[in-house]
Amino acid sequence: MTQNIIEIHGVSKQYGKGNRSVVALKDVDLRFHRGEFAVLIGPSGCGKSTMLYLIAGFESPTHGRILLDGNEIREPGPNRGFVFQDYVLFPWKTVLGNVMFGLRRTGVPHREAKQTALQFIEMVHLRGFEHAFPHTLSGGMKQRVGIARALAYDPEVLLMDEPFGALDAQTRKLMQQETAEIWKETGKTVVFVTHSVIEATYLADRVIVMTARPGRVKGIIDVDLPRPRQYTEDHYLHIRQDILGLLEEEIRQSALGTTSTLTP
Amino acid sequence: MRGRRWILPILLVAGFLGLWELAAHLGWLNPSLMSSPSRIADALWKTHVRRLPERSILLTHIGVSLQRVFLAGMIGTGSGVLIGILMGTSRVVYRLFDPIVTLLMPIPGIAQAPLFIVWLGFGDPTIITVGAIASFFPIAFNTAAGVRSVDGQLVRAARLMGVSPAGCLPRVYLPSAAGHIMAGVKLGWARCWRTVIAVEFVAAASWGLGYMIWDASEYIRSGVVFGGILLLMLVYFAMERVVLEGVERLTVRRWGMIQS
Amino acid sequence: MTTTPRLPEKTERRWLRAVAAVFWFLLPFLLVGAVWELTIRAGWVSSASLPAPSTILRKAWDLSVREGVLWEHLGRSFYRLSIGYALAMGSGLLFGSLLAMNRALREMFSPILSLLISVPTIAWVPVFLITMGLGDSTVIAAVFLGGFFAITYNTIRGIEMVEPSTIRAARTMGARGARLFVSVLLPASSVSVLTGLRLGIGYSWRALVGGEMLSAMVRWGIGKMIYQARFWNDVVAMFVGLLVIGLTGFLLDRLLIRQLERATIERWGMVSER
Repeated sequence: MTQNIIEIHGVSKQYGKGNRSVVALKDVDLRFHRGEFAVLIGPSGCGKSTMLYLIAGFESPTHGRILLDGNEIREPGPNRGFVFQDYVLFPWKTVLGNVMFGLRRTGVPHREAKQTALQFIEMVHLRGFEHAFPHTLSGGMKQRVGIARALAYDPEVLLMDEPFGALDAQTRKLMQQETAEIWKETGKTVVFVTHSVIEATYLADRVIVMTARPGRVKGIIDVDLPRPRQYTEDHYLHIRQDILGLLEEEIRQSALGTTSTLTP
Repeated sequence: MRGRRWILPILLVAGFLGLWELAAHLGWLNPSLMSSPSRIADALWKTHVRRLPERSILLTHIGVSLQRVFLAGMIGTGSGVLIGILMGTSRVVYRLFDPIVTLLMPIPGIAQAPLFIVWLGFGDPTIITVGAIASFFPIAFNTAAGVRSVDGQLVRAARLMGVSPAGCLPRVYLPSAAGHIMAGVKLGWARCWRTVIAVEFVAAASWGLGYMIWDASEYIRSGVVFGGILLLMLVYFAMERVVLEGVERLTVRRWGMIQS
Repeated sequence: MTTTPRLPEKTERRWLRAVAAVFWFLLPFLLVGAVWELTIRAGWVSSASLPAPSTILRKAWDLSVREGVLWEHLGRSFYRLSIGYALAMGSGLLFGSLLAMNRALREMFSPILSLLISVPTIAWVPVFLITMGLGDSTVIAAVFLGGFFAITYNTIRGIEMVEPSTIRAARTMGARGARLFVSVLLPASSVSVLTGLRLGIGYSWRALVGGEMLSAMVRWGIGKMIYQARFWNDVVAMFVGLLVIGLTGFLLDRLLIRQLERATIERWGMVSER
């Protein structure tokens, strides 16, 4: 069992060709440690979501390699879980059906899958809604199903792409707290993308700050605050400042081309 | 904005021609005084054809069918838009017509043909009438939907700028609903085409593309049958590309109401 | 913070809504029927050409209850419709799926399909008459053709329109190949597929009527009933036939397809394209 569960070697990603091409990522080298909560943060267009898609296997790098547990990633697969910003639940399945989906695909027999799914539904505090259809649920509830669904089949890594971006401020805070709890309970490795510094500081063990496009690693900040964290504690605010410091220059750079969506 | 000005006149002319034609066929008009549009077109056509060195039978068949489609389409469009507008602007009219339209729309033209044969005999009157009915429905339906979906804010804005309620019709409702109307017209003409050919199978006495195909099948002249089908494809494509898209380009696309 | 899932409507209220809907639907017919009846009674229009509703209804009664002939005709028609439509549904879904998934096939067949669609279904009947004879098979072939194109086209469109993120979500959970197709792509394209089924049954029904009228060896069938009525100059029977055709077409859509929609896309909150 290697210490580094994910290794990213010299990865670049380019879309399109020639004059019209967009270089989303350039020469990125990163290591993710087993069991850590890593957060990728950066201005819009810095390629953080692209990075996540590459790890997920939805796309392939133009240059370089990504290794999961020593094996090169080529396609999506059940050893990674993905939580989308717009939930992407299957509307034709109930909550239970959605959570069971990954389990069934990986060959788990029906009864066992159902049991496991129910446990995860319980864990995200959605007991009683097993047989509801997604269109009847609120945004926060849908995302909980998304999280439960991604965790249920026991992936090695959980990838979360701005999962709370579509939620209102109150719900968002709640989801941050619950995510921290779930992470503590399950001990998964999490790679989390956001552009909220508050969110990053609250959740992360390490915050990886990326530059404006083309995305590179600008800096990594260790967050060794005890958990559960407080949003208003001194040390926390300190670290927030550090992160913001790294980011400001990048925001300015990116704002020359696009509007920044960063929330301090 | 020049395009906007002439969509309404076109529709009015179509409706007028259609009603004229209908009146002539129903015998309301004195034939020595008033000819009907189709008779006029027919006379023109005959002279044209007679002028050609060879009188092409094939072209005559196609021409006759197209003539019928054109007439039926004009009648259907004119009446469809009129009724559609009525349905769209008045809730009462809508509630009255909608169930009836819904029930009658699925009846295929060819099934109506025997009835009209009893009333109007074989040939043009029946074919054109049934064709007109076939095109009427989708056009009325879509026009009503289009008029009903006009943004209330647009109407209010116009009223504020001094447009009378009646004046809103050509200035606000019709242009806004143009996209829907266009969709209905496309559907209507397609339906008209299909129905005319189908009715020609049973109601045509001697000319028409449908008649040609049917007649050939009765004598098992498969060459003509298949050739006829090929022609159907070609004529349809020509019709669609040239006529419908042309009209669309000149009106609705210029106004940015449909993606080109 | 939590919202409860929607409760099902109270049964009494649903009944009331259904009854009201039926009433509003029938009212125009009753009104038009009344005016029509009065016009004939008053002698403004000759009843030889335009029969009164009362005459039509009486004939309908005769044909259905007294003689039972109407049911024979309808039964035969439904028999042909079911076979033809079932074939259209099966092959349309299959063919549409294949074309949606495979670019090579799609590029090969698309132009041919577009060309074939432009030919009115009824125009193929003479071809069928020559090749398949004058009986049932021709009619069934027409029914099949009517539904096939609509179902194929809408299936392709539906699958093409599935969001990439849905596919990604499925793949990351380990679904691939046939599994991915059956358990994700097909349900995700339900809205379009159902539109295709709805259009298909409409076209199939119309093709049925036309096919029956044109096939000389066909004795029974609602289309044939109308056709034969002409030889007796039986305008009333024609009206009955036309009404039955319209009503059946309407019911096929409302009862059959609509119920299917209720059980699937409406239940899942995937709103229709209406």
